[in-house]
Amino acid sequence: MRKVKIFPPQVWRNKETMYRLIAAKCTSCGNVMFPARDVCNKCGSTKVTKVRLSGKGTLISYTVNYQSLPGMEKVQPSYIGLIKLDEGIEIVAPLTDVDENLREGARVEATIRRIRADSTNGLIEYGVKFRLVENEPNR
Amino acid sequence: MEVVVSSYSMIRVDRYYEASLTELGLAAAKSIFENLKEKVEPDVVLIANSYSEKTANQVLLSSKIARALGFASPSFRVESGDSSGGASIYAAYKMIKSGSVKTVLIIGAEKLSDFPSSYLNEILLQNMEEEYESRVGILPQSYSALRMKIYMKKYGVDYDYFVNWPYLMHKYGSENPYAYLKFQVDKDAVKNSQLISEPLRLFDTAARADGAAAVLLASEDVAKKIGDSDVKVKDVSSSSGHLEMDGIPSLRGAFAKMGRPKFDYLEVHDSYSIQAALILEELGFTRGKSLEEIESVPVNFSGGLKSRGYPGGATGIYQLIEAAMQLSGEFPGRRAQGVEKALVVSTDDLGYSSFLTYLSR
Repeated sequence: MRKVKIFPPQVWRNKETMYRLIAAKCTSCGNVMFPARDVCNKCGSTKVTKVRLSGKGTLISYTVNYQSLPGMEKVQPSYIGLIKLDEGIEIVAPLTDVDENLREGARVEATIRRIRADSTNGLIEYGVKFRLVENEPNR
Repeated sequence: MEVVVSSYSMIRVDRYYEASLTELGLAAAKSIFENLKEKVEPDVVLIANSYSEKTANQVLLSSKIARALGFASPSFRVESGDSSGGASIYAAYKMIKSGSVKTVLIIGAEKLSDFPSSYLNEILLQNMEEEYESRVGILPQSYSALRMKIYMKKYGVDYDYFVNWPYLMHKYGSENPYAYLKFQVDKDAVKNSQLISEPLRLFDTAARADGAAAVLLASEDVAKKIGDSDVKVKDVSSSSGHLEMDGIPSLRGAFAKMGRPKFDYLEVHDSYSIQAALILEELGFTRGKSLEEIESVPVNFSGGLKSRGYPGGATGIYQLIEAAMQLSGEFPGRRAQGVEKALVVSTDDLGYSSFLTYLSR
């Protein structure tokens, strides 16, 4: 099996994206960008602020992926969703804890899961995946 | 000053376990210089290659290949993912049009069959955006599967709708001596092929393999001295864009900038069947019906990425040569009749970048 190498600075600098779901919002046109960027990719404005996403959204579509990647062999097949976040943007993200039939329109929420581990020193990289929300009152 | 496709050469897309990336590039370039009437040292050498750092542990590819050919020409590697081929043609055309450069040798070379599929997937993952998608392992194949599902829902078509594409590509490719998968497939074989990312199956993806193709673009005056080709690059166009689930904004932009020209032959980057549909629809085919209309204009008589094969950044150079050969009536496979204007669409795997090359006799 191919060795997986994790470089701590790459994981560390990505902490706002991966562990806090920080996005950017353009103060000129309202466009939301995840991962966050300093320039609006719709209108080009540099007046952009950081916002924390709720992590809640709706599953628009999904696919069951049978392709493997080094270090991710244990999660196979994997479920990948097209999710419309409540803040209005669409993202493609892995789904986790899938033990029932997925359906389009289901509510999902962000959670932290293991992504891969370094083959030599055991360092683990975590990241955001999405799971189904059982009951969501007062939406 | 017209830009002429002065000479070209390609090797069959295949698995070349015996040859290195550099050797593949040299093999394609060699026959170009054997066929010229006069000795030429190109003013610029461009190498179209997407993945050499991960596939061959190589950088400085362009300088190494130029030196191996005995040229002291300035050389650059053009990397724009799987659209590197189209990007290098764009750059070469603009250089010659500037008037300061007369000849540009472009060599597309890529090596993708040395690896097991999980490592190939790691290579392809580089196409996805770094901070999130690539770190959590969203492969372009899954992105395409989602596009397929969205398309099926939007237009009320089922999986069978997409089967026509690989079926036709293999039919065309079975006549192309340069094709990697030079065989026909029946529709059931497509429908029952291995699931990659549901509903996307093996035949909905394209056959990644090794390949190299080279083309010498020259200004009209030089082209007359060194060869007899009358195929010209009339225009190029390109745009960058965000990914959309149901369209390709970069291609929309590039085609509009070019003035939506008429064409009677097409080579398109069918990295996935859904990609072929989205490309055709950006070029004016009916949305939701494009794959039923593909017999109206000759498209991909090379067999496309599915049958000719998908040698990454070299793909766009194959496409250019195939379209040029249709124009000159020299294509060794299925030929379109009376081709006057050909359009080549080179995109990366999902279409962040699109490069258009418009050719005429």
